[in-house]
Amino acid sequence: MKIISMKFPLLLSALFLLLAGGIANAQPGVPGGPFEADLQGYWANPLYEDNRDRGEGPYLGDYLGLPINEAARRAADVWDPTILSLEERQCNDYSADYATHSVGHQTMWKEVDPFTNQTIAWRMRLSWMAGQRTIWMDGRPHPPEGAPHTWLGFSTGEWVGSTLVVTTTHLKNTWLRRNGVPRSDKAYVIQYFTRIDDLLTVVDHIYDPVYLTEPLVRSSDYIFSPFGNMGTFICEAVEEAPRDLGVVPHYLPGENPNLSEFSEIFGIPVEVMQDGAEMLYPEYLDRLEAMLAE
Amino acid sequence: MSIWKLGRMQLFSACALALLSTMLLAQPSQDDSSDSVRTPRDMAPVDLTGTWVSVIAEDWRYRMVTPPLGELHGLPLNDAAQEIMNAWDPAADEAAGLACKGYGAPNLMRLPGRARISWEDESTLKIEYDTGEQTRLLHFDGTPPADQERSWQGYSVAEWVSAPNMPRGIGFGPGQAQAPVAVPTGPLKIITTNLREGYLRKNGIPLSENAGLTEYIIRRTDIVSGDEWLSLVSVVDDPAYLTGTFIRSSEFRKEADDSMWSPRPCSAR
Repeated sequence: MKIISMKFPLLLSALFLLLAGGIANAQPGVPGGPFEADLQGYWANPLYEDNRDRGEGPYLGDYLGLPINEAARRAADVWDPTILSLEERQCNDYSADYATHSVGHQTMWKEVDPFTNQTIAWRMRLSWMAGQRTIWMDGRPHPPEGAPHTWLGFSTGEWVGSTLVVTTTHLKNTWLRRNGVPRSDKAYVIQYFTRIDDLLTVVDHIYDPVYLTEPLVRSSDYIFSPFGNMGTFICEAVEEAPRDLGVVPHYLPGENPNLSEFSEIFGIPVEVMQDGAEMLYPEYLDRLEAMLAE
Repeated sequence: MSIWKLGRMQLFSACALALLSTMLLAQPSQDDSSDSVRTPRDMAPVDLTGTWVSVIAEDWRYRMVTPPLGELHGLPLNDAAQEIMNAWDPAADEAAGLACKGYGAPNLMRLPGRARISWEDESTLKIEYDTGEQTRLLHFDGTPPADQERSWQGYSVAEWVSAPNMPRGIGFGPGQAQAPVAVPTGPLKIITTNLREGYLRKNGIPLSENAGLTEYIIRRTDIVSGDEWLSLVSVVDDPAYLTGTFIRSSEFRKEADDSMWSPRPCSAR
C-alpha cells in the first residue's frame, strides 16, 4: 500500500504531462494550427474594384463577369430599377453576400465567454441600413431548411489557418449585381476573412443552384481605420413616385429598351452577355477578339 | 495510508511537476528554434506551386478588354496622372518598343492569364505568367543589389507572414521572461521595388518608377468543392500619381496541369 501511495503522485503527474502535451499541441497559434486573428475594429471600404457597380450603379444589361445561366439573364432582362422606389423596398437591407461587395463600411467585434475566454460569436455592423450580422463560433448547427430566411442569413464560422471561414445559409433572394441579376434564396455563401497587417480581405464564394452555373468568386478589401465612426443610418420610406396601388415596375420579356445601352457606350458586343461562365477565363480572349474584329 | 491522503510534500511535488510540464509543453517546439538552418522552401507553411488560372469576376471591363482613353473609374488619380493619361498613344508605345508598359508587376496578374509558380532554388520562388510572357522572381534572402537595373517586374523580396506566438495561460515562465516566437501563419508577403515607369491599367494610367508595391498571396481550399484558390492582394503606393493607397485583390484557381498554358506577347492595345 505504501508503494502505491508513493508512486501515485508520479503516475498522476505523468498522466497530466501527457494530457498537457496534447492540449499544448492542439492550441491555436502553433505551427499548423489555427491562428485566430483580431478582426475587431472599424473597416473602411475603398471601392476600388467594380467601382461603378458598387457605387453609382451598373448599367442595365451589364452581365460581365457573372457565371449566370439563362434563367438569370431572363430575370435581369425584365428588371426595372424604379422598383427600388416602392415604399416597401426603400429600406431593405443588403444581403450578407452583396453587402461585402457593395458600398458601406463595417465594424467587427467578438463576444467572448467570460469563463472560458472562447469566442462565442463575431458580430458585424454594416453601415448600409445599419445591418447587424452574427457569425456563430460555438459549433451550433444551422437551422432546418424551413426556418425563416433573412437578408443577412444564418452564419457559422471556424478558423482555418489564419482565415475565418464563414458559412451562411437562410438568405432571402436578392441580386448579385444591382441591375437585377438575381440570386435565389436557395443560395449559400462561403466567405473567407483574412487579416494581414491593416488590411482585411473578404472573398465570397456564392453557390446558387438556381441562377449560377459555377460559384461566383469575388473579393473585397477593407482598410483598418482606428478612428472610423459609422454614425447612424436612418431610413424612412416615402412616396418617391406617384403610382397606382399594387403597381410593380417591370418590363415584359423583349420590351426593355435599355439592355443594349451598356454595350453601345463601351463597345462590348451584346453577345458577350449571353456567354456566362465562359467569359471568366483567359481563353475567352480569342472569342472576344474575334467578336470585336467583326 | 490511503492513496487519497497524500502527504503535503508528495502533493506539492505532483502539482509542481504537472505545472512545470504544462509550461514546458506550451512553449514552441524545438523545431521552431532551428528555423535558421531551414530554407524558405522548407519553411513554407503552404504550397503555392502549380498552375493557377485567373478568374475574372471583377473589373471585367477593365481586364478582359483594354478600357478606352480616359476611363478612370475606381482609380485614386491626381491631376498629373489624368493629364498624362489623356495623352495615351498605344501606337507610340509600340514604336518605342514599350508594348509591355502595362505588364509590370503592379498590373501583370490583374490581366487575364495563367501563373505557373515553382521554386527556382531553395530561397527563390518563380512566377511565370503566360500573358505578356513575363517572369517574376521572389527573393526570400535579402534586399535588392545596389546595381539592380529597373525592370517591368522590378526586384521582389518575399517573406512568410508570421504572427508572434505566446503560450496561453498566465504568461508565467520557468525562470525567465518568455519572448514571443514568430510563427508563419500561411500568407506570403512580397515587396517590390526597382520598377520601370509603366501603366497601372493598360489604357495609359501612369505608374512612376518610384511606385511601391506590396502584395500578399493567400491560399485557401474551397470547403465545398475542394478546389484550391489563391488571392493576390496588391497594394500600390505612388505619390507621383496616386492620391492614396490603391488596393486590388485578384483570384486564381489551381489547375490540374498546365495544358492550358498559352503564352501571349505584350500588347500595347
